[in-house]
Amino acid sequence: MPETRLLFRHIDEPGLSSIDVYRKLGGYRTLDKAFKELEPEEVLAELENSGLRGRGGAGFSMGKKGSFLPRGEMEKYLCCNADESEPGAFKDRELMTKNPHQLIEGCAIAALAVDATYAFIFIRGEYWEVADILDRAVAEAYEAGYLGRNILGTGKRVELVVHRGAGAYICGEETALLDALEGKRGNPRLKPPFPAIQGLYGGPTLINNVETLSNVPHIVRNGADWYRRFGTEESTGTKVVSVSGHVERPGNYEIELGISSREIIYGLAGGPLEGRRVKAWFPGGSSAPVLTEDDLDLPYTFEALAKAGSMLGSGSIIVADETVSIPELALRTARFYHHESCGKCTPCREGTNWTVKMLERVVNGMGTPMDLDIISSVQENIIGHCLCVLGDSMAMPVGSMVQKFRGEFEAALEGVRVAA
Amino acid sequence: MSADRQQITLVVDGVEVEASEGAMLVDAAKGGDVEIPVFCYEPKLGPPVGACRMCLVEVEGIPKLQTACSTPVRDGMVVYTQTERVREAQESVVEFLLVNHPLDCPVCDKGGECPLQDIAMGWGPGRSRFTDPKRHFRKPVPLSPLVRIDRERCILCYRCVRFSQEVAEDEQLQLLERGAASYVGTYDDRPYIAPFHGNVIELCPVGALTSEAYRFRARPWDIEDAGSICTLCPSQCNVKFTVRDERVARVLARDNAEVDDGWLCDKGRFGFQMVSSAERIAEPRVAGSPADWATAVRTAAARLRDAGASTAAIVGGQATNEEGYLVQRILRRALGSQHVDSRPGGRLHAELAIGLSQPELSAPVRALDEAEAVLVVGCDPLHAMPILDLRLRKAIRRSGTRVVVASERPTALDGGAEEAARYAPGEAGAFLAALSRELASDAMPIEDDPHRADAEQIAGELRPGSTVIVWGERIGHGADGQRALEALLSCARALRCEDPAGGLIEVPDDANGRGLREVGCLPRLGPGLAETDEGMDIAEIREALTSGELDAVVLFEVDPVRELPDGPAWREALRTARTVIAVSMFDNGSTEYADVVLPAEAYAEKEGTVTHPDGRVQRLRATVPHFGDVRLGWHWLVELSALLGEETGIDSVLETLEALAAEVPFYAGLTHDEIGGRGVRWQERDAAAAFPASAGDGAASPEADSTKAVSDGIDREVLAEASGEPAPPPPAGANGALRLGTYRDLWATEVTDRNPALRFLGPRQTLELAVSDGERLGLADGDEVEVRSNGTSVRARVDLRERMRPGAAFLIEGTAADNANALAAARTVEVARIGPEAE
Repeated sequence: MPETRLLFRHIDEPGLSSIDVYRKLGGYRTLDKAFKELEPEEVLAELENSGLRGRGGAGFSMGKKGSFLPRGEMEKYLCCNADESEPGAFKDRELMTKNPHQLIEGCAIAALAVDATYAFIFIRGEYWEVADILDRAVAEAYEAGYLGRNILGTGKRVELVVHRGAGAYICGEETALLDALEGKRGNPRLKPPFPAIQGLYGGPTLINNVETLSNVPHIVRNGADWYRRFGTEESTGTKVVSVSGHVERPGNYEIELGISSREIIYGLAGGPLEGRRVKAWFPGGSSAPVLTEDDLDLPYTFEALAKAGSMLGSGSIIVADETVSIPELALRTARFYHHESCGKCTPCREGTNWTVKMLERVVNGMGTPMDLDIISSVQENIIGHCLCVLGDSMAMPVGSMVQKFRGEFEAALEGVRVAA
Repeated sequence: MSADRQQITLVVDGVEVEASEGAMLVDAAKGGDVEIPVFCYEPKLGPPVGACRMCLVEVEGIPKLQTACSTPVRDGMVVYTQTERVREAQESVVEFLLVNHPLDCPVCDKGGECPLQDIAMGWGPGRSRFTDPKRHFRKPVPLSPLVRIDRERCILCYRCVRFSQEVAEDEQLQLLERGAASYVGTYDDRPYIAPFHGNVIELCPVGALTSEAYRFRARPWDIEDAGSICTLCPSQCNVKFTVRDERVARVLARDNAEVDDGWLCDKGRFGFQMVSSAERIAEPRVAGSPADWATAVRTAAARLRDAGASTAAIVGGQATNEEGYLVQRILRRALGSQHVDSRPGGRLHAELAIGLSQPELSAPVRALDEAEAVLVVGCDPLHAMPILDLRLRKAIRRSGTRVVVASERPTALDGGAEEAARYAPGEAGAFLAALSRELASDAMPIEDDPHRADAEQIAGELRPGSTVIVWGERIGHGADGQRALEALLSCARALRCEDPAGGLIEVPDDANGRGLREVGCLPRLGPGLAETDEGMDIAEIREALTSGELDAVVLFEVDPVRELPDGPAWREALRTARTVIAVSMFDNGSTEYADVVLPAEAYAEKEGTVTHPDGRVQRLRATVPHFGDVRLGWHWLVELSALLGEETGIDSVLETLEALAAEVPFYAGLTHDEIGGRGVRWQERDAAAAFPASAGDGAASPEADSTKAVSDGIDREVLAEASGEPAPPPPAGANGALRLGTYRDLWATEVTDRNPALRFLGPRQTLELAVSDGERLGLADGDEVEVRSNGTSVRARVDLRERMRPGAAFLIEGTAADNANALAAARTVEVARIGPEAE
């Protein structure tokens, strides 16, 4: 099955990042309609009915989240989470680099829907080129009257600011993002209160991922019913999937949710390198529990992957073939989260630290058979006990690797003993 | 908001527990005798952060374990704290916390009183599976000259950082690095120097932050706690003295939300070393030679009998109500003298003393949490009553209170204030008069009033019926003082300060300033503010001693040479006086001239009561035995009285309280039991009705018409005075003259000098100038200058400050050297640089 391109429809059009080309292809017409003809409630209802689920990882209904924001006089905010930092994820980068105006249009319409005057795109510091592109695009949009004090003469106001992060994975966590945006150290906040009630500067705040917001113009233009035609009942629409690792054609593919995972990995990405087989794959970024070759026929949907004990997450598939040592993969994964743990809560701070130490010993042949049980137990002690999901993001994949490939870990211990 | 919370019922481990709705589960569970362990949770620090994860519990209907510290209780909630799942989670958190903890309890100061120890024992797995190397830091290193940090012991609970960021708002402590490499520190490793930073020692749930003054001095099983009151400033914080081997080894907060919110300033926390200082006066002296008490008291009696009605007494702020009462009683009854005073700032007019202390006008400290607006006028709480600074920051941060400041000198609260107005030194009266005109609906503003614009701005922020005015006693000092207090009273009426949500809080010059006034240490007001015959105020006493009109003076825990205006003149007065009887803990510039020196008790040794600025009568408890040959103050005062022919019949400190309560009608019936450990506000007792009626106020009732009449009456007076008086002189003349103001710096006191731990904080004399004046006069930060007036001069270092009013200059009162009280009488000063070329 080929790709189903909504967000990527014109992605390879030369010059799409400029406002002229974007407009020529129909861009900003939805914004025009939304600002001139639609009530915020109508826009929000359309988004809610579309079934669009957040594309950043949690998969929460975007429209529902928007409806949680209280109405009233207080200042409300929209934040676009462009802190795409998860190993394996690179879809937002392409969406922003090649089609920044689609995102800006989405941000403006979403801001309208929740009555937010100020909108921010929080982009990871390492995406400096992308941020430059966004800056240019935002300037063009201001120039053209799609942003600012009086959008298209309607008297409605949306200000959009591109803010560059300083390079911490944790700032992709929505509340840490808010702290960072406020100029503080980017540490997660305790929830509740959720950002929809008390977010940026204490005001109600809608936070969504780049891909989620890029969907907004399409849904508002074509209607919720049209959008629901794509995907499954619980996972509507399309999804940009970043495929990386041991495949012939790594890259971003926009698929209709519900096609089989095998179709993505083998069909679109060309499957493993010649003569190799899929040993393990992360279906939704490095924080998703790994699946094996046996799971390749799972439909690529939020619900099917959750049922299989993993998650669709940000839609980043990382494929590992049989040349990969799972203990080393576990260590590599754990090191990332250990490095990125903010240190605010105990289980994540100490659990990631301890896990890395144990895995290092296992990989270096200094481990003991007891270590495997302790590693598993430590992962269990992290999951569900942390302030945010960063701890779980290590514990789930690492735990799944020890569980599914325990033999390989034992062999790593045994191999060293034999060699000695 | 909190008052009308509904009572609800929840079930904790099968037991029904009553709690107020919205209370945090960890607190509510205590009602069912269930303890849920916590590290990061500390309500004093603000909303919970849920960082340590120690308090995970199971709540029916919620799949994930919840942090009890951040879960508000609802009616019908069912909670389990003892299930296998909860036990495993809590054990795992303890295990995680100990991964990097050195477990060096045997050599740790915290050992024995350590939450981490207790929780590890109570909720931990008992053994660790962690076998890898722990992280290491250089340790212990100074975080400041007063606090050491051991980063290996730190469990990263964030309490100290939250204190610095969100309570003291000094914003110096930070979590640096991240993840398991995180550590607490300051930018660029600078010392953490801030007036409240000692609180982090007490907040620390492990032995990571230890007190330089307490490290290795005692173990918890060597010590006893003794509750009392800190009388080093008007905050009168409730404290616990840690006593080891009959010496004070440490001071901790004894949380009282009505007074201190559980915080202490560093002066209170580290100021205890002087109690056992070898520099203390240990025995009486007569004519410079050691004497026994009997001789000393007899000599004092003889000298005083000779002087008779030509005796004066000055009572310092450290004195208790009982001591103050007895001193004035001896003067008034035994010697027939009315010359007793406790206020450095000059005469306080009876009607103002009474008018401003009306019970319904007086706000409790707690009112600051709830008021819509707070006007801080004529003081910087950070220096004058430090704990109020924290209280006001809390009000701004957590209740959204609008704080406005009007003062001579920039205050620490300016940054968080909605408005901060500056008036020239000594112009509080003119400013308040302008403010009262703005606030009075029908008063005519004066067009060319220079204070009008500022007053209008300030008035715009205030909310009649819900405004607390925090005012410095200092606005009543000097020639303009009476006008300032009159205007203050009319502002208070206009703002309906008699309403429950409003009121006045005076920041007195001295720790027990309010109590001493109320027990009669004023020249024209006896116990209970009852009018007496006219007596001399402090300045008049000084002049009369110099001229020979007065023969003798009793200095009760006061050092006029250092602490009162015009120090050099005081030196002269004491030299001239025929008899000086000084009661003092230490030798100082005044004891030099004393014929009889009697050693004073330290605050940790005293028994008695003091009165908080908001009217709360609090009890001092003797916590350590007397140093050397020091004796109970009230006891020898009673003896002295008897020797002078006035038998008091008093035989205990309680009887002293009873005697004074019999004379202070609004203290009537006060007993130690009633005061208890938390104190009692006299305004909230029935006896408050006996407070003298305000002179201008037909009745003390806040009835609308009479209130209006008063405010109008005073307004007219003020108006007349204001229009009749020539405009104040221009702030700065072409010759470079500046208008001098002086202030009491938190650290410019004897306390700083007598406590080795605090000595490094003692300020050098500093001349604060507006940046523009610095430029005009060619002065830069750090320049050495001489500040001159009328032939007297003081050396100082220049500090150019923002938010200063041009033309104003400030010096510190009470410094050990170059004391500004040499110039206090001066209105304008000249500044000359002492450059290398000049020397």
